[in-house]
Amino acid sequence: MKEGFRQAMAWLHTWAGLIFGWLLFAIFLTGTLAYFKDETTHWMQPEVQAHPLDDARSLTVAQAYLQQHAPDAARWFITLPNSRDPGLSVMWQDKLDPGKRGNFVQKVVDPVSGEAVQARDSKGGEFFYRFHFQLQMPYPWGRWLSTLAAMVMFVALITGIITHKKIFKDFFTFRPRKGQRSWLDGHNAVGVLVLPFHLMITYSSLVIFMSMVMPAPIMASYGDDSRAFFSELFPATDNAPALGQPAPLQSLVPMYTQARAHWAGGQVGRLAVNNPGDVNASVNIFRSGSDRVAQDFGSVVSFNGATGELLRVGGGQSLPTLVSGTFYGLHIGHFAGPMLRWLYFICGLAGTAMIGTGLVMWLGKRQLKHARTGVMPFELRLVETLNIASMSGLLLAIGAFFWANRLLPASFAERSDREVQAFFIAWGLSLLHAALRRGRQGWVEQLSCAALLFAAVPLLNALTTDQHLGVSLARGDWAMAGFDLTCLGSGAFLAWAAWKMQHRTAPQPKAERAHRLNLKQEAH
Amino acid sequence: MLLALLLCYAGFTALCLSTDRHHGELLHSKPTPRRRLGLRVSGWLLLPGSIWPAVAVAGWSQGLVEWCAVLMLSALLLVLLLPYRPRLALGLAGAGLLACPVAAFVTL
Repeated sequence: MKEGFRQAMAWLHTWAGLIFGWLLFAIFLTGTLAYFKDETTHWMQPEVQAHPLDDARSLTVAQAYLQQHAPDAARWFITLPNSRDPGLSVMWQDKLDPGKRGNFVQKVVDPVSGEAVQARDSKGGEFFYRFHFQLQMPYPWGRWLSTLAAMVMFVALITGIITHKKIFKDFFTFRPRKGQRSWLDGHNAVGVLVLPFHLMITYSSLVIFMSMVMPAPIMASYGDDSRAFFSELFPATDNAPALGQPAPLQSLVPMYTQARAHWAGGQVGRLAVNNPGDVNASVNIFRSGSDRVAQDFGSVVSFNGATGELLRVGGGQSLPTLVSGTFYGLHIGHFAGPMLRWLYFICGLAGTAMIGTGLVMWLGKRQLKHARTGVMPFELRLVETLNIASMSGLLLAIGAFFWANRLLPASFAERSDREVQAFFIAWGLSLLHAALRRGRQGWVEQLSCAALLFAAVPLLNALTTDQHLGVSLARGDWAMAGFDLTCLGSGAFLAWAAWKMQHRTAPQPKAERAHRLNLKQEAH
Repeated sequence: MLLALLLCYAGFTALCLSTDRHHGELLHSKPTPRRRLGLRVSGWLLLPGSIWPAVAVAGWSQGLVEWCAVLMLSALLLVLLLPYRPRLALGLAGAGLLACPVAAFVTL
């Protein structure tokens, strides 16, 4: 009975892992890159200069800019620069007839000169972030598919713990250069050593989408009106309507200072001004997510914009929102400083590696049977092609995305969409290449190509912008320099992987291996 | 975070050495029962003990997250170093323990 249970779990682990492995690899890798979303955006929009942070100056500049360019807007939004994202972003919504939504205009303003920055049109790190849960599919299908993948991941984790029963006994064991054995060791090592992260990230992704995955409790209490649930959960700061009497808006800086005092020095993330220039103008100041581990969407301080009078202080989380806010915060890691952010990144890579090694092992085990004849059945060939395209092909696509950012002319129409197209074209080509080239050759060629793309990123950056490593390092712009250096490091790693793949010993058939093992034992 | 990292790494190294197989690989001998017990106890004391410096510096919520991250990464580092640079892996643990008072002085 017990063996039967374990075998059933092993079967589930193997097949759930295979079917969803390719998708999960992409979700994990792009999600890992999303930990450096702001840094990636900064690299992809080098026109946005980094300045020493000064919130009061930024706020004054933003208010002056909006006053000049959008005095009649229905709403203003101001996102302050932070150490990760140097852009001072302002957005406004045009005033339209009641019942219609005015369209939004967004600009990045230089926090020192007060001029709008003419930055190239690019999705930046936002692309990876969106892709990792929307999968470039129309709403809501991508979210459903990624949530389904998260559930399968959770199943694969639990069944994996049951299947690989020796993982805790062999906790410190990793034996390289032993073929299939090393892949299993590696799979177990990155699995069990980083297990708390895997469990946290998978479970929290389900918590984030819980209203979508398990709507029953909401429907039971609110009926079909799920909107009522959300407006109760996030008390939409219920703002007074405009009265139509003009009144000048007070300076935002004292309100900013007062809000921070309410949070004992906590950081401000975003400000929203409703009906600027009206006697009933209101200012909502939202706390930055980088302050605490648990996300709290209700942390808002509101003022009357015309008088500067304090209207409302939101806050005080109930236990359930605190729990879900903690999972949310842990998943996205907004609170993480540079060190912890790197640890998050490494954990994410470990998760990606766990999925990758699992896929490689599935194929390796079955290939052994066919190693002698050298002819692979169609289904194994298919898995091999998908393995290559989903792993090295995705890396190629990411490299192509960065290259497209630097090579496409800034004046191109719908430029940011072209970058995304470059990503998918490169990925598609890699699939074609993997289908045409035999196993190891496919791996070596794609990995080498990706290594070249990544390693040359600093050079490309130096040739196409004036922000090369010499400049960014000297100025202390660590987001820019770190991106270049990380690409260089990734290129070196991929080159090493390609080299390893080229010089790997061919998998041996089982019988031959067993024979050699016997010989060894006899020799001892 | 540094002090917690040093303590976690040393703790995992002690636990690793308390197994016959790894003790044999690293020190080419079988551990005596007393030494095995000593290593196991000090390992299990160091790991939870490293929560304290993490929490003392960063508070409970942030500190616990940092401790978990450091716990995972120190184990990963040790396991990846062991097959390639076993002496370095051991040396790091020793040097780390020696550097603990300095790290404590700097961070706490």
